Amino acid sequence: MKKKLTDTQPLIKTPSAGDTSFPANTSLSNGIPVYLIGGGSVDILRIEFIINAGQVTEHVPLSASVTNAMLTEGTEYHNAFDLNELIDRTGAVFNQSVEKEIAGLVIVTLPRKLDEVLSLAYEVLFHPSFPEEEFRMMIEKRIQTYMTGRKRTSVVAREQFFRALCGNDNPYGRVIDMDDYSFLSTSHLADFHRLHYRRDDMYITVAGQNPGQALPYLEKYFSAGNGMTWKKPELPVFNFMPPSATKIFAEVQGSVQSTIRVGWKGITASHPDYHPLKVATILLGGYFGSRLMRNIREEKGYTYGIHSVSGAFHDLGFITVITEVANNYREETIREITNEINLLAETAPGDDEMKIVRNHIMGETARMFDGPFAKAETLKTILDTAAGTEYYTEFTETVKSITPGKIKDLVNTYLIPEEAFVIIAGAK
Amino acid sequence: MIDFRKVTLSNGLRVIAHQDLSTPMVTTNILYNVGARDESEEATGFAHLFEHLMFGGTVNVPQFDTPVMLAGGENNAFTNNDITNYFITIPSDNIDTALWLEADRMKGLDLSETGINIQKSVVTEEYRQRYLNQPYGDLYLLIRPLAYRVHPYRWAAIGKEISHIERADSRSIREFYSRHYSPGNAILAVAGNIDPEEVFEKAESRFGHIKPSLLHERNLPREPRQSERRQQTVYRNVPGQQLMMAFHMDGRASDQFYALDMLTDILAGCDSGRFPEILVRRKKLFTEADIFLSGEIDPGLVIFNGRLRDGVDIETAEYEVMRELNRVTSEPVSDSEIEKARNRYESLRLISYTSAANKAFNLAFHELLGDAEGLNREIERYMEVTPTKIIESSAPVFSSDNCSVLYYLPELK
Repeated sequence: MKKKLTDTQPLIKTPSAGDTSFPANTSLSNGIPVYLIGGGSVDILRIEFIINAGQVTEHVPLSASVTNAMLTEGTEYHNAFDLNELIDRTGAVFNQSVEKEIAGLVIVTLPRKLDEVLSLAYEVLFHPSFPEEEFRMMIEKRIQTYMTGRKRTSVVAREQFFRALCGNDNPYGRVIDMDDYSFLSTSHLADFHRLHYRRDDMYITVAGQNPGQALPYLEKYFSAGNGMTWKKPELPVFNFMPPSATKIFAEVQGSVQSTIRVGWKGITASHPDYHPLKVATILLGGYFGSRLMRNIREEKGYTYGIHSVSGAFHDLGFITVITEVANNYREETIREITNEINLLAETAPGDDEMKIVRNHIMGETARMFDGPFAKAETLKTILDTAAGTEYYTEFTETVKSITPGKIKDLVNTYLIPEEAFVIIAGAK
Repeated sequence: MIDFRKVTLSNGLRVIAHQDLSTPMVTTNILYNVGARDESEEATGFAHLFEHLMFGGTVNVPQFDTPVMLAGGENNAFTNNDITNYFITIPSDNIDTALWLEADRMKGLDLSETGINIQKSVVTEEYRQRYLNQPYGDLYLLIRPLAYRVHPYRWAAIGKEISHIERADSRSIREFYSRHYSPGNAILAVAGNIDPEEVFEKAESRFGHIKPSLLHERNLPREPRQSERRQQTVYRNVPGQQLMMAFHMDGRASDQFYALDMLTDILAGCDSGRFPEILVRRKKLFTEADIFLSGEIDPGLVIFNGRLRDGVDIETAEYEVMRELNRVTSEPVSDSEIEKARNRYESLRLISYTSAANKAFNLAFHELLGDAEGLNREIERYMEVTPTKIIESSAPVFSSDNCSVLYYLPELK
């Protein structure tokens, strides 16, 4: 059969990550840094307040997350209903979030509502009242979520993983229990808020077609005081016990699948191997055609998905392989994960595979910078790393230059099967 | 407004192009007019299983994913009761690779027995992971057969039961492909950094020679009007009670859809909505109380879903939900409630337009409904909703006779 021209494979142009830089920040008159991230084709603004009020700064368990969630449950000026009515009338979307090391508030709003919206943002961030009744309802709802989580193998496995990695005596690894919910009170929230929601401990990002239009209103509501400069969070120092090789089984009664996590202590973002190790774990299990996916999903059919990541908190890195499999495939799956690691430890990957991984990462990186909203989200994840806004410039350089031999060496250094801790959450 | 242009190739493939110069990427979205409603009741879950097989490679391209990754793209797909939708987001200078791959798998697949068996196994694990191994994960598997007696919406896209997936044989899989995967049954929408003229040229050269095939008329049974309240109680390994209620409504293109979409936003779309205020805060019956539309093309459902506070009697909770729903069938919602919903709609619409992938999908979906321009007309259709229209639209929907109720309770110890 004669092949038509149109059936032929097009030439692939090597993808580039594009421009991975960020504009320098400006600041309000009191010094609060503001990053204005322009672009896109839609006249809507995403404004984020990022505050050093993450979970690791709490002394009373749950106080960081519940303080953050309670911000919109009433203020000194408005009760919960009136406050939500005012917010919803603007059409803006308010979303709070808490991570281990930072907390924040994201708002997406029409530019014409900026004045009302930022006035409300100021009120919820700096004058919440933590009313008792709303607090009790919030706790009740969270207990339900917590109880539901006990039935989720993925939740239980994640808790056990970070507990094994970090220990149970600090907020990175501590597993929350029912006593923590009954102990927490509104005075803990007020204390946490007073200590951590401060103008000298935050920065702001504004993303959209014309982000500068938010500045006068930010100035109007957030410029009190002076000498405010955001600093990388000074986090409490914990003595992480190095996790020892271990196997932990956490029973989740009646589950038809088990979640498996195989993990190691990793390295932090300031370590010279950090970027290279990211590339290695992506090659192993970080994309659809990766070794783990190909073997355990596409050849064996044991799972709907499996992936590996290396990540890091401020002072502690980790590597983990995560999957959910039928209970009767648990042992085979762990064996196959180990096989894939051993294979990579023995033989460096070939050039074809390296090319797929490099190109895939470049495309992914380009998407992390595609549009002002994506860029603002990316900025938040790197600003407190050692490289700061240069993070992705350094990362993409590594992706281009890393050798197959280096991947093999990294696997031999960091993914040693005998040193792994293995978590299984599922039915007996 | 989303500017776009549209052509139909001689084999019936409809091609829509929207240019967005603010992104370096382009999304090719190809929607096939086939979903779980096209399955027979003895072989459910087929359309979705087939979606998996579409990534299994062809004679020309043994690994679908490899060229996508090499070109810096990402790709995925989903299947629902109405459609199967595939998309690739890729740097715009590699759009040829995306079109080549989509055209290639529209022409034919390389379906081996082994490949089929592995994907059956993957889908079985997906069934377990997403529906059976999640607390409350089977709510939607249960509510459909309760609400529908005749129409194929009575099963979910994942399928009625795992055994249907296990039983799928390669002959019926091939038949399914040749029946549904053809240019006349597909819509290609491309959005991103590319001139529409270029999209049309490339589409013609990549897809133009694919042979058209006979299109089958869809002849689905009409769901008869429900005449009495239906109720089912199930006991599961969960920590608390969940109440789900489903009411029949008109299809996606109807005026009723827009009125009820606005209404459900007023009831539960935001924290100051009626359900959070009345059912959660004031009456303290639920910790969460949501209501939304299933959004299907054929007549669909309005679904209430609420997690009860511990110790609340579920019949009382149901009664109070009905009371709020009856209220909207007789008393007009306030102007400020309408105003709030309009502002929120405006924000949410603009947020969805920040993504070229979303724009491509929405253009293709509205083209399937009748005309891609429908996407732009939605603004008016929402703005035309008035308190009176909400009453007119709700009255035939929110009655006990039109309601299917699911009590989802913790197992008795």
